[in-house]
Formats: sequence, structure tokens, C-alpha cells
Amino acid sequence: MILDLLFEITGWLRETFLLDLAFWMMETSLSLFMVENFWNVPLAQVVHIMSIGAAFGALIMLSARVHGKAAETLPMDAVAARYVPWVWYGLLGIVISGLLMLTAEPLRNMINAVFWIKMILLLIVVAITLGFFKSVKAQGAGGAVQAASGTRVTSLVIIGLWLLIMLAGRWIAYIPV
Amino acid sequence: MMYPEPTNIWESIEYSGLGIGIAESLWAFPMIESLHVMALVTVFGTILIMDLRLLGLASNNVAASKMSSDTLKWTWIGFVIAAITGTLLFASKASTYMVNPYFLTKMGLMAAAGINMLIFHFVTYKTVNEWDTSGTLPTGAKLAGILSIIFWVVIVFCGRAIGFTLGIYY
Repeated sequence: MILDLLFEITGWLRETFLLDLAFWMMETSLSLFMVENFWNVPLAQVVHIMSIGAAFGALIMLSARVHGKAAETLPMDAVAARYVPWVWYGLLGIVISGLLMLTAEPLRNMINAVFWIKMILLLIVVAITLGFFKSVKAQGAGGAVQAASGTRVTSLVIIGLWLLIMLAGRWIAYIPV
Repeated sequence: MMYPEPTNIWESIEYSGLGIGIAESLWAFPMIESLHVMALVTVFGTILIMDLRLLGLASNNVAASKMSSDTLKWTWIGFVIAAITGTLLFASKASTYMVNPYFLTKMGLMAAAGINMLIFHFVTYKTVNEWDTSGTLPTGAKLAGILSIIFWVVIVFCGRAIGFTLGIYY
């Protein structure tokens, strides 16, 4: 059962240095600042959600172009030039707001199997995305109207991984730890 | 578990089989909420892309009408899923939501965002042939774009604020 496995991982996390690190983080002035004002955590979450929206919306439109279903008149590298910066700046917003949320509630996040599953998924999607962008730009510069089938599939994998990351993100708050 | 006799329509929804089912399930609310998040970031992200085009700040090499048809299908898919999941979340705590000022503000702003979209579509968009491929759009289009961004940012804020204030209002 998946819940038992998650419990086991969380129990193991509790035995590592992460527990001491979490307690240390809770004493930092940034952590105290985040929790002493009622609105700080919700506002960080709003920035988090809007950053995900900016990056995810850009990925949807680039994926649509790669499939030949949006902005077909433009070369793929021109469309990539429009959306790629929004993915990376969106990710920057995600990371900054995420670090603030993590600092506010270090125990709830770091001693939580779902949080680390989410972090691993995030690293995987970033690695795949780097290759995907490179490939789309190269094919666009080469004059291809539509991307190769492998590139099209990769774009769907990236979208799917982001949906899983969002699922994990919401479940951090609900999984019993 | 026993529930009190409903005294108004919101309590009737909350104490319906659907409302109780979602509220009592360990996984239903988080799972529906997760779908709600996936749908709303799709709505927010694709609307933002269209709004920036209306403001002439991005994608000026794509015609406004083309950008509209490219983004709007994703916006609508996201919106329909967000509306269905939102209704289910509402059903599980209807009377608590109906006294929450952030929930009521959110509903009002969604209506405003809808009216903004209708005005743009039926008034401003009539002259689209004159400015479709231009980077400088008429004031009406720019106004629709900036209002849309403001509405949706505040809608997202209200959505998150609801979750943080549920126990405060009765």
C-alpha cells in the first residue's frame, strides 16, 4: 500500500539530519518573520501558484506549437524564444516563494515523503526541459514546420510531470506525517 | 454520523449525500482540490498570455485573433474543470463558504472577469480587422487586458485566502 510506503519514508526522514536542520530553520529570523504575520504564508502561496501558472501556460502554448496546433505561421525557434524565458522566470518565482514556504514550515515539508518526491520530480522535469528547449530551437532553426515525434512526446511528458508536481504539492498539506 | 436538519439552501447542499460524502472522505477533498489547482493554473497561465498580447507586451508577431483562438480552448478546458471541481469543494462546506467574505469577493470578481470578457468580445473585438496584426491595440483592448490580469490575480489571492480563513467566519 502506497500510504505505508510514504509513512516508512517519512519515518526514515525523521531519523536523518533533516530533523535538526528543520528545528534550526524554525529559529531563523526569516522563519519567524514568515509565521508572525498571518498573511505571509498565503501570499507566498499566491506567488507560487501564479508562477506555476506563468510557466505552465507557456509550456502548454509551446507544446501546442510543437504539435503544429498554435502559431503555425511562426518558426518553432521564434515561438520558443517567446515562451522559454517565461518558463525559467516562472521557475525562479516558484523556487523563491517555495523557499519562503519551506522556511515558514520546515517540519511539515522536510519530514514529509511527498515533499521529497515532489523535489525529485521537479529536478527530473527541469533536466528533461533543458533538452527539450534545445531540441525545439535546433529543429526550428533548421526550418522544420512540425517537431519530430520524439520531441512532441517529450512535450507531453513535461506537461504530465508538472501535473504530478502540482498533485504532490497539494498533498504535502494533507498527507499525515 | 448525524447531521442537523438544514435550515437554508446552503445547509441542504452541505448535508446532501454529495456534500457529506466529500466532507467525510479522507481523500476526496484533497484530490478534487488538486484538480482545481491544475485547472486554475491553466486558466491563469493561458489568460495571462492573451492579456499580454492585448497589451502589446508579448507575442506581437502573432495576430490577436490567432492568439485568442490558440489560447482560448485551453482557457475553457481549464475553466470548466475548475468550475466543476470548485462546485464540488463548495458542496462539502457550502454554508461556511457562503459567509466567507473572500469566497463572496471571489465569486463577484469572477462575474466581473466574465463581463470584462463579454464587453471585449462583443464591443471592442468588432473592429479587430483594423488592429489584428498590430502591436498597438485600441484602448478598449488594453483596458480589457489589464483588467483581466488584475481580476485574476485577486481571484487567486481570494481563493487561497478562503482556505486560510475557513474557521474564522460563522
